Amino acid sequence: MRTLTFAVVAASLVAAPAFAWQPTKAIEFVATAGPGGGTDNFARAVQAAIVKNKLLDQPIVVVNKGGGSGAEGYTYVKGMAGDPYHLVFGTSNTWQQPMVSKVAFKASDFTPIAAMVQDEFLLWVKQDGPKDVKEYLAAMKAKGSSAKMGGAQSKDTDELLTRMIEKTAGLKFIYVPFKSGAEAAVQLAGGHVDSHVNNPSESIGQWKGNTQRPICVFNAKRLAAGPKVTAAEGWSDIPTCQEAGLAIPLFQQPRTVWLPLKVTPEQVAFYVDLMKKVQATAEWKDYVEKSSQSQVFLTGQEFTDYMTQDSGRVHKVAEEQGWLVK
Amino acid sequence: MFSRRALEALTAAITGAFGIAVIVQSLDNGIGWSTAGVESGTFPFMTGLIVAAGSLYNLARGWLRGREIIVDRVAFRRTLALFLPAAVFVAAIPLVGMYVASAGYLLATLRMQSGLAWLRALAIAILVAIGLYVVFEWSFQVALPHGLLGAWLEH
Amino acid sequence: MENFDLLLHGFSIAISVDHVALMIGGVLLGILVGVLPGLGAPNGVSLLLPITFGMQPVSAIILLSSIYWGALFGGSVTSILFNIPGEPSSVATTFDGYPMARSGRPTQALATAFGSAAFGALVGVVLITCLASWIAGVALKFGPAEYFAVYFLAFSSFIGVGGAPPIKTVVSLTLGFAIAAIGMDTVSGQVRLTMGVDELVKGVNFVVAVMGLFGIGELLIAVEEEMHARAVSSRIDWREVFRTIASLPRYGWVLLRSAAVGCWMGITPGGPTAASFMSYGIAKRVSRRRDKFGTGEPEGIIAPETADHAAGTSALLPMLSLGIPGSATAAVMMGGLMIWGLNPGPALFIEQPDFVWGLIASMYLGNIVAVVLVLLTVPIFAALMRLPFFFIAPLIFIVCVVGAYSVSNSYLDVLLMMGFGVLGYLFKKLDYPLAPLVLAVVIGDKAEDAFRQSMLMSQGSLRIFVDNALVSTLVGLGFALLLVPPLARTFGRLRKRAA
Repeated sequence: MRTLTFAVVAASLVAAPAFAWQPTKAIEFVATAGPGGGTDNFARAVQAAIVKNKLLDQPIVVVNKGGGSGAEGYTYVKGMAGDPYHLVFGTSNTWQQPMVSKVAFKASDFTPIAAMVQDEFLLWVKQDGPKDVKEYLAAMKAKGSSAKMGGAQSKDTDELLTRMIEKTAGLKFIYVPFKSGAEAAVQLAGGHVDSHVNNPSESIGQWKGNTQRPICVFNAKRLAAGPKVTAAEGWSDIPTCQEAGLAIPLFQQPRTVWLPLKVTPEQVAFYVDLMKKVQATAEWKDYVEKSSQSQVFLTGQEFTDYMTQDSGRVHKVAEEQGWLVK
Repeated sequence: MFSRRALEALTAAITGAFGIAVIVQSLDNGIGWSTAGVESGTFPFMTGLIVAAGSLYNLARGWLRGREIIVDRVAFRRTLALFLPAAVFVAAIPLVGMYVASAGYLLATLRMQSGLAWLRALAIAILVAIGLYVVFEWSFQVALPHGLLGAWLEH
Repeated sequence: MENFDLLLHGFSIAISVDHVALMIGGVLLGILVGVLPGLGAPNGVSLLLPITFGMQPVSAIILLSSIYWGALFGGSVTSILFNIPGEPSSVATTFDGYPMARSGRPTQALATAFGSAAFGALVGVVLITCLASWIAGVALKFGPAEYFAVYFLAFSSFIGVGGAPPIKTVVSLTLGFAIAAIGMDTVSGQVRLTMGVDELVKGVNFVVAVMGLFGIGELLIAVEEEMHARAVSSRIDWREVFRTIASLPRYGWVLLRSAAVGCWMGITPGGPTAASFMSYGIAKRVSRRRDKFGTGEPEGIIAPETADHAAGTSALLPMLSLGIPGSATAAVMMGGLMIWGLNPGPALFIEQPDFVWGLIASMYLGNIVAVVLVLLTVPIFAALMRLPFFFIAPLIFIVCVVGAYSVSNSYLDVLLMMGFGVLGYLFKKLDYPLAPLVLAVVIGDKAEDAFRQSMLMSQGSLRIFVDNALVSTLVGLGFALLLVPPLARTFGRLRKRAA
């Protein structure tokens, strides 16, 4: 695998002069999240990989525009049509947010570059909470309509997944939206909610501290075995939700990169290639491993297909819940 | 020049208009209780009502008492002399960018209003613009607007 | 005592030539970004973050937290000298700091602010040292209902202390609430009150609002009243700095009370801004010199500054132990922690004792370095007051415009700031109080979120606010602060009539 990537990098390095376009001034990475958020870390990881390996001659500036759950950043870059010096870093929010919220952009306002990583979701309970998924489902059922699920933001991925769990398991949750996943994690540690569906990086510190633990992961297979997180367990010890008895086979959040509209195919090709090179660096691998995400590289038609498929799924749940903007 | 009555009315009109805009806008978001809890328009709606009602009270009270002049001609002229050039400066930013606009603004105010010698005013204006560039664009990598002029120069 | 040993160990890590050099560099950079409105500690921290990737985590966090200290101190400078608060938490410092500086005592105002700030920070660090694990536990007890109660307490301790016309106070307060509601709503995911301006989805930034209301508004008033004719004579006088610092212990009780308020608001999620307002409000209620407040009373500087820094310092604890950043700067630092491979959370103290206690030890040192450096700069800053008004006025305009723009690279923010400037002028001219508006802009939406989250959890029942001892005590205290003064006044009047 490693030799293969090296071969790809070598080939692309040789091919580099063939690019019809090269940046000639500083490039701005617009992160659609505040400092410290998942998307901010993503943009800064790409920046670090490029800077440390000198993949570009031009400086890169990361700008945080996290206002309006990221809508600020999208709207800002949308207005930069024809400018290949502004990249927006986001999530599936690019197509999901315009569906459920009256924001001034839509996915077709951007030129897709790539989806570079998929963040995982797990079901978390308090340390002294239900010991596995079966117990959890029974306990939530017993609570009736007062079972509480915490999450980051409203009508976003966390609530989407919550509503899917409700439907699959025949439960009813009070979904309590907080500003961030980290805040939801603290609320769970304090026992103010019963569970949440955080990404690994949002709750690993709490898991290490024995205030909460994951009971299943929303993926078709278990996560990669890294170093143990607690004395007894690591990520690969967590069963998939399907095998534990909650039939949601796969739920992930892609982290995506976009250019504004009206850029040339040469410019797009340049950035696609740049992101490919980023993925081959040690810094990037380190970022992916430490945040327990799964690396992907979707671009071109593949990316568009993925988007269409995911939009369909989101649209279905949003319609059932009555979230769609009129 | 301006009586207390006039200024009170102006301010109450501004806050009142804002209050009404808030009321109207929050109706779009829904008011009351839904399955998702307190609807998002409820709280702004209430604040809008209070702002509007309070503005009405302030308008009436301000109108009834206060015929005395609180901003005389001289004071008003001084305020305008400060505010108008600044407003022109702000309006010029999208055209000529932050650096040229602020240098021009300083040059104009220092020369015309304060009567500094041309050379001194020019030197200060250029130094400030360079200082801005060094601190923001160069060391903190905050790109200040370059305006249409900057876009034209780049081509 | 175990903590004490760990702290000594921490000192052995933190004290080295390299680290002290990092502290001095970090503090100076921090003072620079703190003094410039629009730039703040997050700018300095995120600028240096890439440099720290290659460092030891302890060295890196020492550098970054030194920027934090420098910026905390630097933020008060423009508040006091030009009435332009660079950060939300230094707004309350303008109430008495600016009048004192204007009346010809800028050196005393700055030295008072820095001295009490250093005291507040020190109390905060001592608290972290002694009670780290206990505090982490306390913070977990705060759910949405308790959050709301804390904000309510902050409001009720501050509202009603001013002598402004009541209806004007109400308009100012509710105007602030409405402004805070502009943009994306966390609880519903809906966009609110954008008035057809798409960019407003990001909300109205606080710094933009205060630079206009206070900075520009004050400038317009000053030019009209021909303030520049009354030149401020401020001789560069080092003795004045020492005299002021030496006189601080006279205000021992104010210092202690404000530090307590600050620590409390830092541990509970109220934050430094709420802390400084609350502390000012309480000081004004209980002080014997309450009539002098707002005219350059030292107590009016000591109270908010001490509380601000005590809260700012103790707010670093939730970041380390719970992974919730108490401020934007803490958020950037937390991003750094993750890049260095450390996970903030309850286990950090056990897993990385060298890192945590090295950091805590560096807080003591960093503060001392910061206060020494910043006191050295006092005469330089005070000398700024001697610049002629015709020169300083356009310069303030430029600094505010650039600052408003650089908050989020937005021209709209510049226009908003000018609008707020005119509003600030009108409000000041007509005795509308600005402070309630500012407080509402800062914590209004947080209070609303917490209230609505509580309502979700209780499914509409207000009983959630009296559900346990903690929340009912907080709510009760809030009502007491709100109702006692007017009741006492009415009662006093009745008694007088009877007699």
